[in-house]
Amino acid sequence: MRRAARLLALAAALALTPGVAEAHLVDTRLGDFYSGALHPLTDLQQVLPWIALAVLAAFQGAARARWVVLAFPLALLAGAMAEMVLQLPTEAPILGLVLVAAMGLAVAAAARLPLPALIALAVVAGLLHGAQNAATMGPATDRLLFISGMIASGYAVVTLGIGAAIAFLRGGTWRPIALRAGGSWVAAVGIMVLGLQMMTRAAAG
Amino acid sequence: MMTRIAPFSRLTLALALCAIPLAPALAHTGSGVQEGVLSGFLHPLLGPDHLVAMVAVGLWGAQLGNPAIWVLPITFPLVMAVGGLLGISGIDIPFVEPLIAISGIALGMMVALNVRPPLWAAAILVGVFAVFHGYAHGQELPEAADAVAYAVGFVVATGMLHLLGILIGVLVRWEAGAAAVRACGAAIGCVGFYFLLGAVGIIA
Repeated sequence: MRRAARLLALAAALALTPGVAEAHLVDTRLGDFYSGALHPLTDLQQVLPWIALAVLAAFQGAARARWVVLAFPLALLAGAMAEMVLQLPTEAPILGLVLVAAMGLAVAAAARLPLPALIALAVVAGLLHGAQNAATMGPATDRLLFISGMIASGYAVVTLGIGAAIAFLRGGTWRPIALRAGGSWVAAVGIMVLGLQMMTRAAAG
Repeated sequence: MMTRIAPFSRLTLALALCAIPLAPALAHTGSGVQEGVLSGFLHPLLGPDHLVAMVAVGLWGAQLGNPAIWVLPITFPLVMAVGGLLGISGIDIPFVEPLIAISGIALGMMVALNVRPPLWAAAILVGVFAVFHGYAHGQELPEAADAVAYAVGFVVATGMLHLLGILIGVLVRWEAGAAAVRACGAAIGCVGFYFLLGAVGIIA
């Protein structure tokens, strides 16, 4: 009975002391690292193609997917560095949505891509998202920390995504179909929002 | 005298007490992404005419078996996106609401009568209806605070409804289950008919 009471007391204590959600990590020492890591994760326009890229790479097999693990973070770095000396083109959002649609369609079709095409896709996505994220840095932002955080985030998402997708594909015949259905969802989102962006731009002249 | 509680029950009770009063972590309330996903996700769920038609797609796919079970749910979002573009563009397509209701009737009847057309015919039928469902969703897209989040929400909800239909449709492996699936199809047809009467103004 005592044990039950102790358990209940512990449960009540746990229940009544919810942790504080530290949403703004800029106040901590490595704040800009976390800002860089979290920034792309709060933008579905970046997270969706990252996951789609990981699944697409997994469809190509582990040996080919390893190239994406290497190429994508390096391209993020190159994109971020390029943004410091070059202006981000105004067509960047459109290109981002084209990537969402294209990667979603490739996953939906379970496309077998030549290795150079797979690497090129990873490089284009990395360059674009690296530059887009770097463009959000303010004058007070620690660039080294922010860019490091962004690259760490990209590396983690793509590597874990590839690993998870490869592990998931080892099983029943329904598993590739489930991933392909997910790809069709990503493609649908990309196509519709791309259409919206283009029509909005056309209307604005 | 107190009754002894079994260890498993105690653990369950403790876990339940831990889980119930958890305070929400309100880090970014009202952000565009959060609200966009939620409103997009709820859009197909709050329209019963959309909802039953989406479930019917999954049911019919499961009833038709391989490859329709995966061709229809993969094709639907892509064709729906085309309809979404029409809705975004503001092109006026007449009779959208009646056609959405008719999609429920038609797909429900296909399931109820266990109609087994060739795959291409099933894909065309589902695709045509997908255009109208996409059109209705697409009309809402320009109003969304975060268009990507809204689109993610309604596409995921649509996919989940297909999955629900497929999971129910797995029952066709058993005789009683097959009858239950056909009954679901008939019920979907009735819901579609009700909404058709509403869409043409016969009932309020």
